[in-house]
Amino acid sequence: MIIDQLDTPLTGTSLKPTPAGVAYTDPEIFIREQAEIFEKMWNAVLRADSLASPGQWRTVTVGREEIIVVRTRKAGIKAYLNVCRHRGMRVCTTAEGRSKTLQCGYHAWTYALEGELVAAPNLTSMPDVDRGEHGLKTVHVREWLGYIWLCVSPAAGSSAPPSFEETVMTEVSTRFGEVQSLENYGIEKLRVGQTRRYEVAANWKLIIENFMECYHCATIHPELTEVIPEFAQGWASQAQDEIHGASFGAQVEGFTVDGSAGVAALPAIAEAQDRKYYAITVRPQVFINTVPDHVIFHRMYPVSAAKTIVECDWLFLPEVVEKQLDVSRSVELFHRVNLQDFEACEQTQPSMSSKAYDDGGALVPSEHHIAEFHQWWAQQIGPFARGR
Amino acid sequence: MSPPIAVFLTEEGTVHALDDTCTHQDASLAAGWVEDCRVECPLHESTFSLTTGEVDQPPAKRGVRAHQVTVRDGEVLVELSTAAPKLPPGVEVA
Repeated sequence: MIIDQLDTPLTGTSLKPTPAGVAYTDPEIFIREQAEIFEKMWNAVLRADSLASPGQWRTVTVGREEIIVVRTRKAGIKAYLNVCRHRGMRVCTTAEGRSKTLQCGYHAWTYALEGELVAAPNLTSMPDVDRGEHGLKTVHVREWLGYIWLCVSPAAGSSAPPSFEETVMTEVSTRFGEVQSLENYGIEKLRVGQTRRYEVAANWKLIIENFMECYHCATIHPELTEVIPEFAQGWASQAQDEIHGASFGAQVEGFTVDGSAGVAALPAIAEAQDRKYYAITVRPQVFINTVPDHVIFHRMYPVSAAKTIVECDWLFLPEVVEKQLDVSRSVELFHRVNLQDFEACEQTQPSMSSKAYDDGGALVPSEHHIAEFHQWWAQQIGPFARGR
Repeated sequence: MSPPIAVFLTEEGTVHALDDTCTHQDASLAAGWVEDCRVECPLHESTFSLTTGEVDQPPAKRGVRAHQVTVRDGEVLVELSTAAPKLPPGVEVA
């Protein structure tokens, strides 16, 4: 029973502090976050099947870097810093395309899809120029859960990135637990039914903090709380060490905006996962929500201390997408949750620079697990000058 | 003295030889994209026939020389064209 946890005597005080307001507004802290967190960790950027054929590429932003992600002819998916090695112009100047080579539009330095410099005007008369050495700078790539994950730093080839197994996969399986395995959802085999992009005028940490707790659910998420009545108690799926499956209400048929039935359940989920909602945060920028018939996958891209882009995919079985079954009521539920959450974050952001928030705010017991996120964050960025 | 020769093996398994240097600007056709028995210059969008050397579209206006190829016991033998090479501005045969 979730309610039991509220009755358990708590050690220490009921309220724990949050970081000071400056943590959410200071451009220098934001730069440190870009350098120490987003550029050093693995970031999920694209669905792998969004690059279907060789030569197809897209540009994405991780930290302060723009990156070309391309499906090559011979070497699977590769990623490069979108910077010509000659004079630095952007090699790809649009969000997506398909081409036989990656060619800079300034002096026509031309790179193979596999990254090496293959041609440039008069290159044949510069035999001392090593074509591999002057290839595009590579970025580490992994494919997992059907997503392309990138690690910007250190540069590929110079030294190893943080272990994907230890920093991403283990964290996810530890959080999701052995029995309620994430693998049962077969996320890598699902297809995108819908994607929505949100430009949120709030610091990325406000969005994570919001996602991690459900103390706000009964106040701002009427539809979600109808479907999952226990959320009115304020305890989020991820409030404890091991994730908690939040049960659908007795009369609820599916995870939809009106509680009506969804589509066919994912075939391999465990009995205990039926009629349950689970949510985890994969630091620093992914949220995964699972319900019996679909998976909602968020990716965050911080743009500035006060602006974050969030992309949200609704993933269904391939046959659901191919047959164009109506998933609008499923999508609408979490789309509303997103809009409600992001509005709350946007109404919070301006206060972060108020005198009233100089020393930060408070976390109630059902939010205390967020303090662990704050400790982790503080470790990553190191000390900073408090106050204004 | 001949300018550099590029030798191509197509996905269909045929072997061809052309002058390696594009007639528009100094670029190696050996680094180009081979498809449908043509090679596209890696720098701009002209493509050259692997059998005749003729060019399909600007910016190159002149074709390259094609050379006779014989494959004997796995060895590629090339008989050089006797025509004058057509090189881009500023490139001379060393």
